[in-house]
Amino acid sequence: MDLTHTRSSEVIKTNWFTTLTNSKHLGLILLVPAFVFILMFFVVPVFLTGVFGFTNMSTATGITGDSYLASQSSMLQLKDRHGMTALADDLSKIVYTIDTIGLEAAAQEGANQQTLDELSTKFLGQNFDNRRDVERIIKRLNHRPNNTRAIKAISKHFERSVLNTRYDSQDKLLTAIDNFGIKLNDTEAKAVIDVTYTGWVFTTENFKRMISLPDTKKTFINTLFYVFTTLILFNVGFALVLAISTHYMNSGPAGFFRSLWLLPRITPPVLYVLMWKWLAWDTGFISAILGPFGILPKNWLLDSPTNAWFFIILINGLVGASMGMLIFSSAIKAIPTSLFHASEVDGATRVQQIRHIILPAIRFPILFITTYQTLSLMTSFEYILLATEGGPGGSTEVWALATYFKALNNYMGMLEYGYGSALALVLVVVGVVVSLFYLKIFDFKSLTADPKIE
Amino acid sequence: MTSNYRKWPMTLFLGILTAPIILMYFYLFVDTVTNSPPGSMIPNEWTLEHWRFLWQTLPGKPTIWVATWNTFLFASSTTLIVLFISSAAGYSLSRLNMPGRSFFLGGVMVLHAFPTVTLLIAIFLILQMVGLYNTLTGVILVKASLELPFGIWIMKGFYDTVPWEIEMAGIQDGASRFQVWIQLVLPQVKPGIFSLGIFSFLAGWSEFILPLVLAPNNDVQVLSVYLSSLIFDETNFDMGLFKSIGLFYVIPVIILFLFFQNKLMNIYSGGTQG
Repeated sequence: MDLTHTRSSEVIKTNWFTTLTNSKHLGLILLVPAFVFILMFFVVPVFLTGVFGFTNMSTATGITGDSYLASQSSMLQLKDRHGMTALADDLSKIVYTIDTIGLEAAAQEGANQQTLDELSTKFLGQNFDNRRDVERIIKRLNHRPNNTRAIKAISKHFERSVLNTRYDSQDKLLTAIDNFGIKLNDTEAKAVIDVTYTGWVFTTENFKRMISLPDTKKTFINTLFYVFTTLILFNVGFALVLAISTHYMNSGPAGFFRSLWLLPRITPPVLYVLMWKWLAWDTGFISAILGPFGILPKNWLLDSPTNAWFFIILINGLVGASMGMLIFSSAIKAIPTSLFHASEVDGATRVQQIRHIILPAIRFPILFITTYQTLSLMTSFEYILLATEGGPGGSTEVWALATYFKALNNYMGMLEYGYGSALALVLVVVGVVVSLFYLKIFDFKSLTADPKIE
Repeated sequence: MTSNYRKWPMTLFLGILTAPIILMYFYLFVDTVTNSPPGSMIPNEWTLEHWRFLWQTLPGKPTIWVATWNTFLFASSTTLIVLFISSAAGYSLSRLNMPGRSFFLGGVMVLHAFPTVTLLIAIFLILQMVGLYNTLTGVILVKASLELPFGIWIMKGFYDTVPWEIEMAGIQDGASRFQVWIQLVLPQVKPGIFSLGIFSFLAGWSEFILPLVLAPNNDVQVLSVYLSSLIFDETNFDMGLFKSIGLFYVIPVIILFLFFQNKLMNIYSGGTQG
């Protein structure tokens, strides 16, 4: 007994041991949590964005997809598309049925119980075509209410209609019609389901709309302008200026300036943009400084598209410049100092050093930053959202921001998930293309060098 | 020393370019405790009224302490998740020979640069379907996941710098790969884990779009959403109050930055040196 026990535990121990010794198994085990998270919030959303892009999903259709509403317009469709005029008229009817549901509802509202009891015994189960008939029979009861208002209050509880009630499944809709007293055959049921469906459907309408709308073209041009101007002037250009100028400084001040230029990046966006608003506000810094020169105070951030773009590019550029600065600085640091000394002896000027030593040496980091920042500028919108909300008049609305406004934040409260996803899908495609390019310029092989054990 | 190597022109040049940043930060501090007459930038009185949000609840808002606690919870939970998962996955990708390794690596790299805005709509709908919309749990899971590819990539970089000899010695002494990882390799990348932790905490503390879209309700509001909703409401524009809340919000960031600047620079520039 004792012996077998020891043996089985030994077996278990060996199994466990081999699992953790074998690098194949251990590797996969250690990856599982990351895999689950990334699957749930990366892979599935990308896939769903692709699916949603081909639907007309919005707040009106709901997100679960099952929703049926018999409205006036769906009845018109039933006549026009399916030629079921009689059925449509029947469904549109409002009838009055004396049933227990109505009696209970009336009782709850405080109608006289004797009246209701009499109504129940005499007329339970009977149908009336209009309200006047119902009110007439109530008036003739022995225990009738003593005023017209009370009669009307009771009669309204027996009003029955399939119109304008939302049903969240086909079965519920068909049961309701059945209860209403209309028996549908299969073709009729299909037709009714077809015209009353208000959930989302698959469609390519989003992409047609995207191509035809003039807004799309404007947003597209805005995005191109924003990405390339910011990229060239700041994320690469100004980053180079910072990296090269701090290179020619003593390490003390150089470190000071580099830390200072990291501030825009580490400051939370909400506060960072608030400080810019303070600068540009009509009671803010620029207005106060220009006041004595006779320039009227105004909101410099939003007064014209040109000024709005000026600030948007500056706001994003100062954040973007810091990343290039750090990467270029460490690349410049890797250049052998003997090169600079030798060029010095040959009488090279600083401009010549930059042109012939520094720039050729950091070609690869520049390419890397260009690709990486193109992607991140194209898809970042929080600074624009906080600063101008795309204004004035949509002049600073870029693609990512348009996506956000269409699907997640809309003044009308009508959120178009489907159209928004279609817009996002364009960014996904561009993102994948740029990422592949990014993989290519990165020396992928050297990063995946084979492990040296086993 | 030739004129070519003079330092002061460069320092002056950069000093001028940096002035706006210094100015904005300077006035961030000044404006929270003073009032200035209209049309002037020179304060004429001291005041503490801009800090009233600390002891009063602003109309229609949760108290600042609820928002602060939420922000802390959000930032620290995402940090913990990112640290645990990326230190395991990073080791796996850096050192262990398993099927599909280069596929995973490529995947992590593509996702690392992937536009997260494109996922936002789908994530918003998913959270609504599973009932995690307007909860801290939901937005924590999302933020942690979106941060993971970067975290894994950085941790892989740190593991890559650990000498193989350490592991080989461990294996030779009879330790399993798991024991080698826990007992020998993890201590070697402690600085890396620490840097990534600081970075993730700051990223969580500053995050704006995700909580704005996924958890906007008062009881789960974080400071960025709290402050932005005050700013977006154009009927009550009070720059002194906004700046004070902003300063309150940014204090932990500045403290962490002052103390751990070098570690952060390391991460921001790609983090391949431990």
